[in-house]
Amino acid sequence: MVATEYYVALSAIIFAIGAVGVLTRRSAIMIFLSVELMLNAANLALVAFARQWAAAGAAVALSGQAAVFIILAIAAAEVAVGLGILVAIFRYRSSTDVDTLHEVRL
Amino acid sequence: MLTFVVLSVLMIVGAVGVITLKQPVHAALSLVATLLTLAVTYVTLQAHFLAAIQVIVYAGAIMVLFLFVIMLLNIQGDQPQPHFRWMQIVAYLTALLAAGAIAATAFLSPRELPNAELMSEALAGGGAAAIGEALFNDFVLAFQLVGVLLLTGIIGAVSLVQRKATQTAKDERELSGV
Repeated sequence: MVATEYYVALSAIIFAIGAVGVLTRRSAIMIFLSVELMLNAANLALVAFARQWAAAGAAVALSGQAAVFIILAIAAAEVAVGLGILVAIFRYRSSTDVDTLHEVRL
Repeated sequence: MLTFVVLSVLMIVGAVGVITLKQPVHAALSLVATLLTLAVTYVTLQAHFLAAIQVIVYAGAIMVLFLFVIMLLNIQGDQPQPHFRWMQIVAYLTALLAAGAIAATAFLSPRELPNAELMSEALAGGGAAAIGEALFNDFVLAFQLVGVLLLTGIIGAVSLVQRKATQTAKDERELSGV
């Protein structure tokens, strides 16, 4: 069986790639896709930790997987609202370039 | 170990595709590939129910929503950014450093995995019954709050994209050419 460290390292790599995407892309939808990548990297780490903690009993081990389930639901809500905002912005500007979106600021 | 190597290579290639491909549709499909690989990785981690949910909810519902919006708005690829070239390099360097540091920290304090019997007994294969027991005992409050959050999110999304009745009527008049 593959040790937990390898999964944590893979999760860190995916998270870093997602962070680079957020920092370098200009289109809001591409930034959004990168954020999804980061969320999934965190999920992978949680599932790996859930397996690592199996010796502490079923309740502790499965709480990691239950947390992933809740994160999935939150990601779904986040995508719905985020894409709604994107559609609303696109209706006025017909562009999703975040460099020129200064009127979204408070 | 071989399975893990193959899966992680596929996942990293998919993730790099998400951030480098110019067309949003290509990037979204690359993300679908990454998410499906992640679902298989969940199976290797004895989280079978989560693997199924990952395919149905993430690779299915959420990515369809993404592709739907990309195609609805007809978003084209973004332009290269000439005035922020240095920031791109800094971003790549920082990410490399951060990922390396986290991975090194994980490998510096290695831990023994519990034995296989104990593992499959505690996780129960990560089935729906096992997760449901955890979810409805220790996580009831979180579960309820997520339900409220989803409802709020749906109402928010609908109110964001809905048009005013007068606007809709005007558009329809223009379309019918009256």
